[in-house]
Amino acid sequence: MGRARDIRLAYLLLAPALLLLLTALAYPVGWEVWTSLTDLSPVNDHPTSFVGLDNYRRLSGDPAFWRAAANTVAYAALTSAVKLALGLGLALLLARPFRGRALVFLAIFLPWAYPASVSVIGWYWTLSPPIPTAYSVFMGNMKYAVDGALGGGAWAFVSVTLFNIWRGSSFIGIFLLAGINAVPPELFECAALESKSAWRRFWLVTVPLLKPFLALAVFLALTTAFADLANVWMLTAGRIVYPVLGTHAYWLAIHGGQFGPASALSLTLAPFLLAVLFVLFRMFDPPDQERA
Amino acid sequence: MSPRPWWRKLGHGSLLLVATVYCVFPIYFMLVQSLKTAQEDVFGNPLIVLNPTFENFEELFQQSGESHGYVGRALRRSYPVLDWLENTIIVFAGSVAVTLVVSLLAGYALGRLRPPGFRWWRRLIFASYVVPHTILFVPLYQVIVSLNLENNLLALLVVYPTLAVPFCVWIFSAYFQNLPRAVEESALVEGASRLTAFFRILLPMSKPVVVAAGIFALGTIASDFTLASILLLDAHNKTIPAGLATMEVALDELLAVAGINLMAIPVVLICAVFARGYVRGLTAAMVEGA
Amino acid sequence: MAQVMMKDLNKKYDEVHAVKDVNLHIRDKEFVVLVGPSGCGKSTTLRMVAGLEEITAGEISIGDRIVNDLPPKDRDIAMVFQNYALYPHMTVYDNMAFGLKMRKFPKTEIAKRVGEAAEILGIQELLKRKPRQLSGGQRQRVAVGRAIVRHPQVFLFDEPLSNLDAKLRVQMRVELKRLHDRLETTAIYVTHDQVEAMTLGDRVVVMKDGWIQQVGEPLELYGHPANRFVAGFIGSPSMNFVEMTVADANGALWADTPGLRVKVPPASAARLGPYKGQRVTLGIRPEDLRVATGADAADYSFDTVVEVVEPLGSEILLDLKAGPNVIVARVDPTVRAKHQDKMRLSLHPERVHFFDNKTELAI
Repeated sequence: MGRARDIRLAYLLLAPALLLLLTALAYPVGWEVWTSLTDLSPVNDHPTSFVGLDNYRRLSGDPAFWRAAANTVAYAALTSAVKLALGLGLALLLARPFRGRALVFLAIFLPWAYPASVSVIGWYWTLSPPIPTAYSVFMGNMKYAVDGALGGGAWAFVSVTLFNIWRGSSFIGIFLLAGINAVPPELFECAALESKSAWRRFWLVTVPLLKPFLALAVFLALTTAFADLANVWMLTAGRIVYPVLGTHAYWLAIHGGQFGPASALSLTLAPFLLAVLFVLFRMFDPPDQERA
Repeated sequence: MSPRPWWRKLGHGSLLLVATVYCVFPIYFMLVQSLKTAQEDVFGNPLIVLNPTFENFEELFQQSGESHGYVGRALRRSYPVLDWLENTIIVFAGSVAVTLVVSLLAGYALGRLRPPGFRWWRRLIFASYVVPHTILFVPLYQVIVSLNLENNLLALLVVYPTLAVPFCVWIFSAYFQNLPRAVEESALVEGASRLTAFFRILLPMSKPVVVAAGIFALGTIASDFTLASILLLDAHNKTIPAGLATMEVALDELLAVAGINLMAIPVVLICAVFARGYVRGLTAAMVEGA
Repeated sequence: MAQVMMKDLNKKYDEVHAVKDVNLHIRDKEFVVLVGPSGCGKSTTLRMVAGLEEITAGEISIGDRIVNDLPPKDRDIAMVFQNYALYPHMTVYDNMAFGLKMRKFPKTEIAKRVGEAAEILGIQELLKRKPRQLSGGQRQRVAVGRAIVRHPQVFLFDEPLSNLDAKLRVQMRVELKRLHDRLETTAIYVTHDQVEAMTLGDRVVVMKDGWIQQVGEPLELYGHPANRFVAGFIGSPSMNFVEMTVADANGALWADTPGLRVKVPPASAARLGPYKGQRVTLGIRPEDLRVATGADAADYSFDTVVEVVEPLGSEILLDLKAGPNVIVARVDPTVRAKHQDKMRLSLHPERVHFFDNKTELAI
C-alpha cells in the first residue's frame, strides 16, 4: 500500500468536509472581513467604497462598544465557569454506581437533549410571559426587580443566561462523565490510597486527570453561549436590547442596514476566540501515537 | 472500602434529588402548560395540571381555512404544522446523515491515513467550531442564493452540517487514531479491499462512536432556530422551530408550547434511546491508545 | 503450499532503516521463526511479506509470484496478530468465515471448513459467541482458526502468544507445533522469545538492528552461534562472556584474565593462533560448567566464590565470582552451596566459544 496513494486518498476523503466548511463558513467569514473594511449597505445610494479601518476606529471611540464588549466577555466567561462547575458536579455525582443511576443519568441528559431551538422559546416565555397566566405576576415582579437594578432588558438577558447555563451544564456533565470513564480507574484508586482528604484528591488528581476534557468542554460551552443569544434575539425580534456584541451587530445590520460597521463589530470577537483556541489546543490535542 | 456513613448517603441522595429537579423542572413545566386549557392556564396552579387535555396538540394540526377563530378582535391564524413536521424530519435526518458521512470520511483520513500536517488540518477544522454562525447570516444568505437554494430545505442541509462537522471530525479522528490497526489489517489480509474493510469491519465496530457523533449532531442541529428562520421564508417551508417563531405569542401561547413539545418529544426519545451509547462513544473517542 | 523468497529486502522509514539487506529462502512446508529483541526488524519483515508495509527495496516472492505490488488480499496468506485482531462485532463463526466470504466461497463449503477448523482447535461450542465473551486462550484459538480455514499458501504469525499467561503459552506452543505437522503449510513466525523460537522453528532466523545475524536449525544456533549476539540471545540463562587475553605458555595457548585462567582447548587452538597477545571474548554456557572433582583436568578448572543461589528444583543456578568476573553456572540439584562458599568449577573443553572482540564473530 503506497504511502503516496494513502495521502492522495486522505485528501480525497477530506475534500467534502473542507468544501462544506469553505462554502458555508470560510466564504462568509471572508465576506465579513472584507465588508468590515467598507461602508457596504443596502440603503446606500452611492457605490460601496473602501474605508480601511474606519469602522474599527469609530468603534474603538464608542463607549457603547466597550460596554457591549465587556458584557460579552463577562457573559461568556461567567456562563462557561458556572456551566463547568455545575457540569463537573453532575459528572462526579454520576461517576460512581448507585441504585437508580440510569434514571438520574437520563434526567441530567434531558436539558441538552431537549432541542434548544424550542426550549429557549418556552424558557423565555415562561420567564417573560406575554399574556396573563397563573405565574405572570410572579415573573413580572422578578422582571421589574432585575430591570430596575441592572437596566432595561436585563431580565430578558438574565433569562437567556440562565437558559444557557441550564442546558450547558447538562452537556458538560455528560461530556465529563464520558471523560471520567476514559480515565483508567486505577489512577483514581491510586489517589484514594495517597490521600484521605476528598478535597485535596479532587484538586490534585481529579482535576488534572480531566484537564483535557475540561478544556474541551469549556470550548464547546463557549460556542453555544453566542448561539443562544442570537436565537433569543431573533425570536423576540430584537426585544433583547441589553448591549452585547452579537446582538448589537444584528441591530446594526438588520435595522440600520450598516453592514460595514456590523461586520467590524462581529469581528471584534475574533481575537478573544482565537486566544481561547490557542490555550485550549495546548491542552487537549490528542497525543501522537508511534507506529508499532 | 468501608461502608459509607448514613449522613454521607443522605447527602448524596439529596444532591441527586436537587440535580434531578434542576434538570427536569423546566421541561416538566413546559409539558404541564401544553396540557392545559386556556382557562386553567390563567387561573390554575402553574405547577400542576388538573384536567389534562390534548386540545392544544389537536389544534396544532387543524388546517381548515386560514383562520380558526378570534381572541377578542384578533384573528387567530392556523399554521401548516404538518408541513413543518415533515420539513423538520427531512432537514434533521438529512443534516445528521450528511454530517456523519462527511465527518467519518475526514476523521478516517486524519486519524488513519495521516496526510502530512494532519494535525494542522484537524486543528483548522476544529477551530471553525468557534465561529458563531448566526452572526454570519448576511453572507450565508448570499451563498445560498448563489447556490439557487433560497427558500429551499436543501439550504439547511448545506448549512447545518457545518455546525456539527468540526466536533464530529475531531471525535472520529481521535478515535481512529487510537484504534489498533491490527483489526483492519487483519481484514485486508483476509481478502478485503480498503473500502470493504471500512464498511464491513471498521464501521460496524465503531457503532458507539457513530452514535455519539450522531446524537451530538442532532442536539446541535436541533438547537438552531435563527438560521432556519433566515433561510426558509415561505410559511410552508419552515421547520418547527422557525415556524413556532412566527406564531403570535400573545394569542397562541399554549399552542406554541404544544408545538415545542411536539418537536421536543421525538428528539428527546431518540436521544434517550441512545444516551448510553452516546457516553460510551464519547468515552471510546477519548480513551487514548485503547 | 509455497516457498517464500526474500531478496535484498530493505525497509526505510523517514529516519529509521528498519530492515537491511535481508536475504532469506523459506522452503515449502517449512516453519521458520524470526527472533530478536524489539526493534530488530522482524515484525517489519513479516509485515512486508503480508503486504501491510511497503517494500523500500528488494523483492519478495511467494510461490513463484513476485508479490511486491500485490495488495495483501491477493497474496493468499493468513496472519495471526499479537492481540488477535478479532472483529469485535462478529460472532466467532463469522470471524472465521469472513475470509471465505470475501473470496466468495459457497455457503456449504464455508460451513464445512469452519466446522473442520473449529473441531481441530476444539472451539465448536464457541461459534455463536462474540469475541469479548471469550478468554485470552479462546481468542487465540479463534484467531488461529480464522487463519487455517482458508488453506492459505503461507501462515504469518506476529507474536501470537505474547499476550497469554506463561502456562497457556506453553500449551499453545505445543498445539501450534502439532497443527503445523498436520497442515504442513509454510509458516513464518515472529517472536522475541527465544524458547518459542527454538521449540517451534524448523529453522530460526536471529535478527538485530535490521540485519540477519544467523539462520539455522535450533541446535545449530545453540551449538555454533555465528557471533556473540546470537550466542547470548539463544539459550537461557544466557551464555557467560569473559574478556581474556590469549597468551603462549608451556607450548600451549592460554586464555588469561585476573581471577580466571584456562587452557585453550585443542579444537580451538589452531583458530586462536593469530590472536596471540590480543584480547578475545570467551563464551561458556551455564550448563557447560560443573563443580570440579578430582578427575577434572586442572587446566580447565578455576576457583570461584558463590554470590547467589537460585534453586529451581530440577537444577540450581549459581551466580559466582571468579575474581571480578561474574559467572552463572547451572549445576546438579544435589550440590549444596551457600553465599560466600568457595567453589572450584570446571568447564567443558569442547563447548568453549571464542569471539573476536572487534567483529564479535565467532573464532
